[in-house]
Amino acid sequence: MGYSFDFQSVSFGPLWEGLMVTLELTVAANIIGVVLGFPLALLIMSRFAPVRLPAMLFVEFFRCTPAIVQIVWFFYCVPMLFNVFLGSMTMGILALGLNLMAFNAEAYRAAIQAVPREQLDAGIALGLNPLQRTLYIVLPTAVRASIPVLLTNGIGIFQQTALVAIVAVQDLMYQAKTLATETYRPIETFTLVALVYFAVSFPVSQVVGYLERRRQLMMS
Amino acid sequence: MTMSFSAPLVKIQSLHKSYGPHIQVLKGLDIEMKPGERVVVIGPSGGGKSTLLRVMMGLEKIDSGSIRFGGKPYISSESADKKTEIDTEVRRSIGMVFQHYTLFPHLSVIQNLILAPCKVRGEAKASATKRAQALLERFGLGAKANAYPAQLSGGQKQRVAIARALMLDPKLMLFDEVTSALDPELVAEVEQVILQLAAQDMPMMIVTHDMWFAKNIASRVIFCAGGVVVEDGPPEQVLGAPKEERTKDFIDRVFHIRH
Repeated sequence: MGYSFDFQSVSFGPLWEGLMVTLELTVAANIIGVVLGFPLALLIMSRFAPVRLPAMLFVEFFRCTPAIVQIVWFFYCVPMLFNVFLGSMTMGILALGLNLMAFNAEAYRAAIQAVPREQLDAGIALGLNPLQRTLYIVLPTAVRASIPVLLTNGIGIFQQTALVAIVAVQDLMYQAKTLATETYRPIETFTLVALVYFAVSFPVSQVVGYLERRRQLMMS
Repeated sequence: MTMSFSAPLVKIQSLHKSYGPHIQVLKGLDIEMKPGERVVVIGPSGGGKSTLLRVMMGLEKIDSGSIRFGGKPYISSESADKKTEIDTEVRRSIGMVFQHYTLFPHLSVIQNLILAPCKVRGEAKASATKRAQALLERFGLGAKANAYPAQLSGGQKQRVAIARALMLDPKLMLFDEVTSALDPELVAEVEQVILQLAAQDMPMMIVTHDMWFAKNIASRVIFCAGGVVVEDGPPEQVLGAPKEERTKDFIDRVFHIRH
């Protein structure tokens, strides 16, 4: 069996378009996850059980079921149960965005709880009231502390986008499957696509490593 | 705040504090501090020194007792429900510096200094910045105004923390083992700053394990052990010729370690 990475006869157009769809899904899901994850974190930390419990249930649902099940459920069950279908792209963004929101909420929660007690003591000693302590001490410290985890989660969602190919969103994976079938070259096609995913993810994971090292230095 | 010279600055009466049902840290502490006094509190670990300062700063609830500040009720827990009442207005006239710097890592030095004046007192940013810069110059940190805490040495951080507390014009400063976390060669620069404040008659209460520093700064030394005041007097007496056996033991052991 011969391999040939000579793709001169093949059009890369669909792969390029697929990558754009994948990036669009990633960016949109991250906007939902980063922005709405913070208020969700505040809800799961609420002292008021009727607020806390539904929020926790939401988070645990997304953390404790496979992403592929969530996506399939969104595409097939939501339209049947609620009689709404918003288009495959929108549904894909929602499914991935809500998933990321749940994971990011946990990252924010951990970071909020990790704000050292002494920092808050210093805030009290300086006369800051509870709201001022949250706004000027807890929030900036927690958001900064959670950046590496947010990036890791974000790049995780970039990879998870490949799952929406099974519900006919024309992302990079979907285009790769089509191309592989058309050219009878699955090895070359999927190797190339794997390299594309890698080329996007790897620099981000390097940035995460750098940020974590820098943070450790800051804290020491 | 008006107060006559004879009135005590701080009057602590029968202060009780426990952590949980079994650990009693303060067991009826009585201390009166006059304006202008520099009280150094010494004693074994777990004897209640740091807890005393934390209570005075309003960071801990108390079981019973009261603290008056400048003649006004400040902290008390004498009502039937045992709730600790803290007058937050009075609290603002007390400044505290902690063992572990506690600078806000996301703010530059100057931002650390002006945060409370701007947010708590509503001071204009320009005026707070001007005062902060002057204070930093005075402490030899003028060039560090825009640095972040992570870029400073431990000694510099602690001097910034002192400056930050002074920005609110405290009537009393509390220092809780402020040199314990420092490398030995950085201790002097922090102690110099506190001695500088002492020279300006800033009332202060200091918890320290550094007996040299205690001797140099104290106008009065309190030996605290087992949650009560064991001995209280001028530094020459408590450090030099203690009357109580427990004080003597402690002083002997501390000096034995140092020499």
